[in-house]
Amino acid sequence: MVDMVDMVDRRVTVRTPDGLRARSAALFVQAAARAPARVVIAKGGDDPVSARSILAVLRLGVWPGDQVVLSAAGDGAGRALDELAALLAGEPDRTGA
Amino acid sequence: VRLVVAAPLAGAAVGLDAVPDPVFAGAMVGPGVAVDPERAPSTVVAPIAGTLVKLKPHAFVVTTGGGDTERGVLVHLGIDTVTLDGEGFTLLAAEGDTVEAGAPVVAWDPAAVEASGRSPVCPVIALDAQPGDLDALAEGPVAQGDPLFTWS
Repeated sequence: MVDMVDMVDRRVTVRTPDGLRARSAALFVQAAARAPARVVIAKGGDDPVSARSILAVLRLGVWPGDQVVLSAAGDGAGRALDELAALLAGEPDRTGA
Repeated sequence: VRLVVAAPLAGAAVGLDAVPDPVFAGAMVGPGVAVDPERAPSTVVAPIAGTLVKLKPHAFVVTTGGGDTERGVLVHLGIDTVTLDGEGFTLLAAEGDTVEAGAPVVAWDPAAVEASGRSPVCPVIALDAQPGDLDALAEGPVAQGDPLFTWS
């Protein structure tokens, strides 16, 4: 059976203490890599980059208060975005990671 | 392509598990080697030749290659040093610069960082690499520019 899953988007204001620099970026990329869905992240009008690449995420230069857009397609896309959006919003980690 | 990543500063090469930050220590940022620096004012240099794609006082990223072969190395100057807001750090290059390995990037004083209650240990990280991609990991005293690890 083939699932036709539409791309879903989520706009998030980043509230982690360091934006998406080394520490938060690492946690974000690890969470994205665990998700079965493929997730991309974009800041401003720039092209979206893979949420699984820490180099790409660091290069975005995301600071606290910046808005980013997460997009995902595939299995569990909505759930993946929920988890990643919560992480960026600085909500307590529910994954135990 | 085997990329030799050089020590960006002199000190003692230590495993990432010695870094007092669980995210670095757990290699969650990526695999690599840390340098516990000599406690004297020093200049931190580029560990590889390439492009300085990110430069902040407390951390920088140099990339080499393009497209699928692009590799990036992160040098993080001390732990929790972002909260120093650049105080005590002098930028010697600009974001976007093309740099040779060994080119000066930031001047700082590890002793001052330590005196502020922070660890001056410097993780040097192979971004998006797997642990098995690295070999010849240095351990013990390293001079600036000595090979720190090889990234295959």
